[in-house]
Amino acid sequence: MSETTQRTTDMETENRTDTQTDPETTTGETEEQVQDEWRNYEFAGEPKLAVDDLDVYYGDDHALKGVSMDIPKNSVTALIGPSGCGKSTFLRCLNRMNDRVKSARIDGSVKLDGQEIYQEGVNLVELRKRVGMVFQSPNPFPKSIAENISYGPRKHGDIETGLLARLLGRANEDERDELVERCLRDAALWDEVSDRLDDNALGLSGGQQQRLCIARCLSVDPEVILMDEPASALDPIATAKIEDLIDDLSEHYTVVIVTHNMQQAARISDQTAVFLTGGELVEYDDTDKIFENPQSQRVEEYISGKFG
Amino acid sequence: MSTETDTRNPLVRDGAESTGLVAAGAVALAALLFALSLAALFQQLSLTDTLAGVPVSTFLGGALVVLGGAVVVFGVGSRLGYVETEPQASAGMVAGIAFGFVWFVAGGLVASQTIGVGTIGWLLSAIFVGGGVFAVSVVTREDIGSTLPAGVLTAFVGLVFVTGVIGPSWVWNLGWEQQASFTAGFTIPTLTLFSSLLSGWAAAKAYGGFGARGRHTGAYTLVYLNAVSIVGVLFILLAFTVYKGIGGVLNGFAVGAGVGPTSTVVLFGIAFSFDWPVYLPFVMNGVGLMNEFNGVLPAIVGTIWLVVGAVLFAVPLGVGAAIFLTEYAERGRFTQAVEVATNGLWSTPSIVFGLFGFAFLIPRFGNGKSLLAGMLTLGFMLLPLVVITSREAMLSVPDEYRDASAALGVTKWQTIRSVVLPAALPGVVTGIILGVGRIAGETAPILLTMAGGVFVPGSQTPDIVGGFAFTSSPPFVENPVLLDAASALPYQLYALITAGVGASGNVANPDEFKWATALVLLVVVLSFYAIGIAARYYFRRELNQ
Repeated sequence: MSETTQRTTDMETENRTDTQTDPETTTGETEEQVQDEWRNYEFAGEPKLAVDDLDVYYGDDHALKGVSMDIPKNSVTALIGPSGCGKSTFLRCLNRMNDRVKSARIDGSVKLDGQEIYQEGVNLVELRKRVGMVFQSPNPFPKSIAENISYGPRKHGDIETGLLARLLGRANEDERDELVERCLRDAALWDEVSDRLDDNALGLSGGQQQRLCIARCLSVDPEVILMDEPASALDPIATAKIEDLIDDLSEHYTVVIVTHNMQQAARISDQTAVFLTGGELVEYDDTDKIFENPQSQRVEEYISGKFG
Repeated sequence: MSTETDTRNPLVRDGAESTGLVAAGAVALAALLFALSLAALFQQLSLTDTLAGVPVSTFLGGALVVLGGAVVVFGVGSRLGYVETEPQASAGMVAGIAFGFVWFVAGGLVASQTIGVGTIGWLLSAIFVGGGVFAVSVVTREDIGSTLPAGVLTAFVGLVFVTGVIGPSWVWNLGWEQQASFTAGFTIPTLTLFSSLLSGWAAAKAYGGFGARGRHTGAYTLVYLNAVSIVGVLFILLAFTVYKGIGGVLNGFAVGAGVGPTSTVVLFGIAFSFDWPVYLPFVMNGVGLMNEFNGVLPAIVGTIWLVVGAVLFAVPLGVGAAIFLTEYAERGRFTQAVEVATNGLWSTPSIVFGLFGFAFLIPRFGNGKSLLAGMLTLGFMLLPLVVITSREAMLSVPDEYRDASAALGVTKWQTIRSVVLPAALPGVVTGIILGVGRIAGETAPILLTMAGGVFVPGSQTPDIVGGFAFTSSPPFVENPVLLDAASALPYQLYALITAGVGASGNVANPDEFKWATALVLLVVVLSFYAIGIAARYYFRRELNQ
């Protein structure tokens, strides 16, 4: 028995003292066996992201405990679980945004296309270009819509505008206009804003701002898009638009999305990972299986609303 | 049905119009008296003049009697049930203490000055009167407690004016060494001001029908009158300077083709010259024996260069330090220590900065007072404020912007330059505006580091741009103008005032010259202010349009 599993089992007994008498827990199937089953979750092809035994500490707080999971390419993977279960922390490990938190310490391995991202000499600029991120609350820059989109490529030198570039004959403003249009179209925002690209992005509605953030994320041509509860601050109509968009995006991009909303996870994701209190990954499988026939007792209770 | 509505106050008060009118009239009268007393205090209204056919002091007294009477009548009427109000059980401790203190003073003064009893006597009567009024205000219901003490006192003060006990020629000599005395010119307006505030407050409470709403109206009236009077005083200050100075500034003013001096601008070796179509000698001339009209051009140009130099020195350094402290340095003891130090530096007296410049900078710049030393000294003064405000502005830029930028793979420095700084710019500019407002008017550091003279000839106008020259040996560029002594407006004003009569021969009317200098200084500082506000508006619009 590995140490991780041992610890996990201990945690569970603590958490579930009130359900000890529940007849279903005495069916003889231990948590260990359950985990073994989903640990063998298999899918065709190579994983886009392979996470192995990932631990995260914030100071003394052990926020994520020995998480391992493989994320398949060009699909939507949902991370669900109660508040404080570490799902956002997990997400932020995938493009090393947790490096920006001073107190965070990260152990374990994350491989993008088989390449370790937690090792010496990783180019963070390149990593974050390949693994983009959309945040919980819409955070467009206080600049024009077009500038928001072209910001990333301009800073990376892929697009050059301005006086100096024009004097040197290196300005590629047509390319910029194409990029802006393509990203906005991909984010299903073009029709709404095409006539006011030079207006300040802060004048857009919340839902439009969030789609602009997705478009901005697409501008650096990522392979993976991480979304941290992208619809939690939006109304149902804006949420529906974001969900349709995620569905479209998954044709070309690998999407990993954190959500509080289990219906949303069930609607949009191909596979679902359930994190429960204490920072452990309890179950990871096809979304249908998680929601219809979860292996773990705790997951079933969480999904049916009894726990969490 | 009716029992249920009876227990509550009606939403709409019936028949309150006529009685409310009395209270509103009292508030209006109080406001009028407030304005009149301010005018009298600033000697815009003479006490010996007549107003509506009666002497001003009698008029003020009569109006106070009416005001006090109205307040008392309203209060008593409310208590007897003739006026529908919602008073609380007591006017409250604060009102009681305030009224008690006022009556304590009034009782003491009357007993000692008018009746003339000894120390024990006046103290006893003051305590008796004050305590009595305190008890009345606290014990009785609010409609009596908050009107009677104010109304009676106001009417009493009015009677004192009307009967001439304190007339226009009244003087109370305190018998001090310094010959201090209270004159009618000060006492009557002050007492009127005070009484009108007191009764205005009571009347406003009455107008609101006492209770919570009344207290709100009362407080609102007090705060409003207060704000208006402050703005009024500031406006008077400005208007006074303009009034005294405008004559000197416009001395010799002329408009028309060819009346102005000829300016020559040299660009790339080619000289363009043009004639000004206006002639405003005070800001276009220096002082000279041959001048028909003298002016302060050298000091104006000196002030402008001084501020420009200080800003150019302090802003890049200050913003850089703020970037380091906010974005790079770990929050901890070090940043805290720097914060305390910068706050302390901003509060450091300017003469200390001046001494630093005098002792440290001047020996290093050719041992003479110079424009450059002045610029750097003022730059050091400006630096802490730029650091403080830039840091505040950068801290208030949401972290979401930094996260979003980092998630796009943009490096920290690029993020600071393209996202954090533009978002913080309006705040930074606000800091610079505040700082420039302070340094542009500084006299002490200039006195020690830059000097100049009392009357500066036009030939000493610092020409920084024209002073640059290339040389064949390192450092290949020189600007002797920077190392010359130069004048600035605040220093010139100070020098004029302290120079005394002896120096007055240089200008026709030294007093006019002083006020005109003050006005020009005011205009120059306000122009910097306007430029700053325009810049801030521009950057804000960039962020939010």
